Amino acid sequence: MTAPNSPLRGRKLGDRRVVVDRPHSAYFRYAGAGVMIAKAAASAPTTAFGRRLARVRAFVFGKPLSTAQDIEERLSKKLALPIFSSDAISSSAYATDEILRVLVLAGLAWMTWSIVVAAAIALMLTIVAFSYRQVCRGYPAGGGAYVVARENLGPNFGLIAAAALMVDYVMTVAVSSASALANLATAFEAIAPYKVELGALIIILVTAANLRGLRESGNIFAIPTYLFVGMALLTICVGLVNTASGAAHHLNAPPFAEQPGVQAFTMLLLLKAFAGGSVALTGVEAIANGVPAFKPPEAKNAANTLIIMALILGTIFIGLTFVGLQYGVMATTAQGPTVLGQVGSAVFGGNFLFILLEVSAALILFLACNTSFNAFPRLAAILAQDDCMPRQFAFRGDRLAFSWGIVVLAAVAIVMLYAFNASVDALIPLYSVGVFICFTLSQAGMVIHWRKERSSGWAWRSVVNGFGAILTGVVFVVVASEKFFNGAWMVLIFIPSLIAMMMFVRHQYASSARQLTMRPGAAVPQPHRHNRVVIPISGVNRAVVQALNVARSITTDIRAVYVSDDPKHSDAIRELWTQAVPDVPLVLVESPYRALIAPVVAYLDVLDRSWPNDQEDPITFVLIPEYVARSWWERMLYNQAAKQLRAALLGRPHTVVINVPYRREDSRPQAGPDQQPAGTLVAADNGKPH
Amino acid sequence: MPEAITPVFRRAVIALSGGSIDARIVRLALEVTRHNHAEVIAVHVVELDWTQPLDADAAERSEEAQRVLDAAEGIAESLHGKMESVLVQARDVGAAIVDEAAAREADLLILGLPYRTRFGGDFAIGRAVPYALKNAPCAVWVVREPMGEESR
Repeated sequence: MTAPNSPLRGRKLGDRRVVVDRPHSAYFRYAGAGVMIAKAAASAPTTAFGRRLARVRAFVFGKPLSTAQDIEERLSKKLALPIFSSDAISSSAYATDEILRVLVLAGLAWMTWSIVVAAAIALMLTIVAFSYRQVCRGYPAGGGAYVVARENLGPNFGLIAAAALMVDYVMTVAVSSASALANLATAFEAIAPYKVELGALIIILVTAANLRGLRESGNIFAIPTYLFVGMALLTICVGLVNTASGAAHHLNAPPFAEQPGVQAFTMLLLLKAFAGGSVALTGVEAIANGVPAFKPPEAKNAANTLIIMALILGTIFIGLTFVGLQYGVMATTAQGPTVLGQVGSAVFGGNFLFILLEVSAALILFLACNTSFNAFPRLAAILAQDDCMPRQFAFRGDRLAFSWGIVVLAAVAIVMLYAFNASVDALIPLYSVGVFICFTLSQAGMVIHWRKERSSGWAWRSVVNGFGAILTGVVFVVVASEKFFNGAWMVLIFIPSLIAMMMFVRHQYASSARQLTMRPGAAVPQPHRHNRVVIPISGVNRAVVQALNVARSITTDIRAVYVSDDPKHSDAIRELWTQAVPDVPLVLVESPYRALIAPVVAYLDVLDRSWPNDQEDPITFVLIPEYVARSWWERMLYNQAAKQLRAALLGRPHTVVINVPYRREDSRPQAGPDQQPAGTLVAADNGKPH
Repeated sequence: MPEAITPVFRRAVIALSGGSIDARIVRLALEVTRHNHAEVIAVHVVELDWTQPLDADAAERSEEAQRVLDAAEGIAESLHGKMESVLVQARDVGAAIVDEAAAREADLLILGLPYRTRFGGDFAIGRAVPYALKNAPCAVWVVREPMGEESR
């Protein structure tokens, strides 16, 4: 409480008023009876170093946002589309290549089947998008396949979906940054030896952008996505006009074209082509994971954005495949031009628009990783809320982003880059395996959802989702078996490992919750165990006296312990102690091996053993006097032994460790020895804090 | 008829009573002072009767009194406006508000007036508003809250 201000005179005789101080108002605001809301100042750092650090953080990541500003950070459909769809839309840039690479094995004549395969994939995209649209509406808290599987198939199936998705999100980041660098390295050979370092740098930059918050990262990444969509649609339109007018002619075989094979055109080959082209579906699920990031009405906006994304993806994919077929484009090896590049070159003839198309494609391939940076942390946060991941993943940082998820995703992706030397060929077999597990589980979950809900149209909806589940399940089997020996086996190890980790975390939290839970309605009994205090002292000084005063407020059973390697010194300390604190026993422990910490711990063990067996163990309070240093360099000089003792006593049963800080300012009001309160000592010999 | 000119104020004091009208006058004050970045000072007066000394520890400990100003600060923050808040103890609310406005050299005083009727149906204007209208050296705006359905 502050002292009342003196009355102020009013304008009329006798009028007086007192302005009342409001000490809380700088840091808190009352929001209701007994409820205070902390203002930004309450979270602001108090030290000079902390303030400098906060300024740097504000410069790099932006000023902290309050939870109330969450609604302002939500995404409109226009911003959400590039944020959550860059992965899915970018896959249209290479999905046709994947189909052609398989079909060419049966010879050029079978390349026309590419449009049939593309149409079948578009049908699957429709089913998956339709399903996820329902997921957005049915599960507006987000979580996508994880939540659908958890709710309808059981918690363990939910974990399978979550683990599969998380592995795929990590791979998306690693692959997209590696492929962006591979593209750049073809143009600038000098960067080739530094691909790993540059890849890590790219990931760090995207991480920083995402840590700045959803809206800002959306603003940064929106333009390249829309540019690619615009350029791809323009390419298709011009290609269609050329086809209609008869101006589309077959191109000559591009450099590095895949050589036509002589394999039989079988159902298996067709399935492989289908599985190859299904990479177009990766990233479709991201919107369903992030429904709460949308502006209200969240579910409706997310569902509509998902449909817009599916329409764009489907149109570009089918359009490119069709126009490519008209121009007779060929699949090429990694060094050759892509289908998009060949179509663009044929349509625009190598002018500015062609360059713009190529640049936008490179940018969106690079930004595909941004979808993971939005979907992964949200999924991790939901898992953390379900106690399947460490709870830190559910905390939101200064800018309302799930900082832990973002940073961990970046760290793991960088490790993958290093492990695979940023080689796209080595990384790609690990990519897009997990996503089909999650598609299958979410479709299967939706079948059960419809059967349970029995809302209008449930029968045909469950048939569609059932068909989708079978289709995506088949694709998973084909993709996993195709890529198994190239590296997909690692994914099939990562996923169970992640599941095991999440089950372990869940078990740990459940077990600690069982131990911590109070019986409902139970009254808390008064403490009945004996308390005793042990004060390890480094001498007889003010810090020790402060600890002694605290000890006296706890119990009368107090003893001080002094560990010494010098018997002469011990005698001096005993004399001082007996004179100053005659009512508190001092135990002197001679330590001929010069250890300071272990003898204190051993003394506590002896105290415990000497306690009668027929009585309940007492609670031992270990009060550690600490001298509070005023600056960082002073901190290196003091309290080292106290820190070691604290660490040694961590987790010791029936023991409470209390630090009793003594600040230099604490002694200020007592200017001289005459003014010392009773029981306070003037700094004595060997009053040095440890 | 002369053209309407928006008056320009340098410093506005708003008197808060803790009623529903408070939010309205905070918004109004921020709106009229926004253009020239004028100061807005919210004053809430806790009236003490003669049984307590004027400097009694009453308002500081009163969560209710603090909450009146905190709620106004919250509204100002949500509108991205700046507002100083002052808690005053006095014997008479009207005099304290006018004195505070005069001491701070305010050129606008805004008071809220709840729509209340006395027994018999007459409108009750209270004591603070007439006092301010009569004695305040600056412009005084009184914002009366709309009548309730039952009063119409």
